[in-house]
Amino acid sequence: MKTLSQIVAELSHLPGVVVAMIVGAIDGLIVETSGMKDGAPGSPDPRKHTAALGAYLYSKATRAADAARLGTPAFMRLEAQQGHICVVGARDVVLVTIVTPDANLGRVRLDMMNAARGIS
Amino acid sequence: MTDPTVAEGWVAVPLRRLKEDARLISGVLLYPTGRAVGQFGFTNAADVMSICALTSAINASARELGRQLDGKPFYETHHAGADRQVFMARCTAGGQEFLFVGVFDRESSLGVVEIYFAEFQQALAMLRPEKEAKGTGPSGDFEGELNRSLDALFGPLGKR
Repeated sequence: MKTLSQIVAELSHLPGVVVAMIVGAIDGLIVETSGMKDGAPGSPDPRKHTAALGAYLYSKATRAADAARLGTPAFMRLEAQQGHICVVGARDVVLVTIVTPDANLGRVRLDMMNAARGIS
Repeated sequence: MTDPTVAEGWVAVPLRRLKEDARLISGVLLYPTGRAVGQFGFTNAADVMSICALTSAINASARELGRQLDGKPFYETHHAGADRQVFMARCTAGGQEFLFVGVFDRESSLGVVEIYFAEFQQALAMLRPEKEAKGTGPSGDFEGELNRSLDALFGPLGKR
């Protein structure tokens, strides 16, 4: 079984993944994180905000899916102008990645879901 | 949800924003001496009075505990209850220190509260209190200060 640091390290090495994090599903706090790729020196670190809000969004998406009787969300992707935020739930934690627009989203999705199964 | 009621108008906007962004159920901003500056989520002055007194005492205890255990004061405290959670932290404006205590449930999370409280701290740091601070310690009239701030928040006793 992989450690949490191995999981974030492997996800962060995927092409296009800027940062990979494991975040508490309830408290939204970072459990494990990779370093930021392509972060401009002196620019604010978005990891804490993304972790907290990603976990928060995932909890709301879970409620929405439940209300629609769709079951637990398997994969959540937020598409923005300059990239994507991907979130996958794994029991008490969620995996959160920030991904560039040109990333191979299929590969990111597959690896995140495999990693989530490894945690569960 | 009701708007914050404030004893000092300059905190109304940042306090409302913190309440909305962090999805807090209730909160009180106060001086470390226990005098309330603003609150939301409470309709009873006695509740605010208790919270101010307790927060002031917990803050003093946490600082001393931090000094003894970690060599530096603990400035942020979080307690997760079964349904609701309490978050306490400090902020400053115009060189004056303030304490904040907020309550949230599963509609929010500690991570979300922390990030929006950091924004609140930054917003407050750019403001100046309307009243000049009279020293850093308690004035010795704790009850009087508390009652005056509660009068400002909820109206004079008898009219509440």
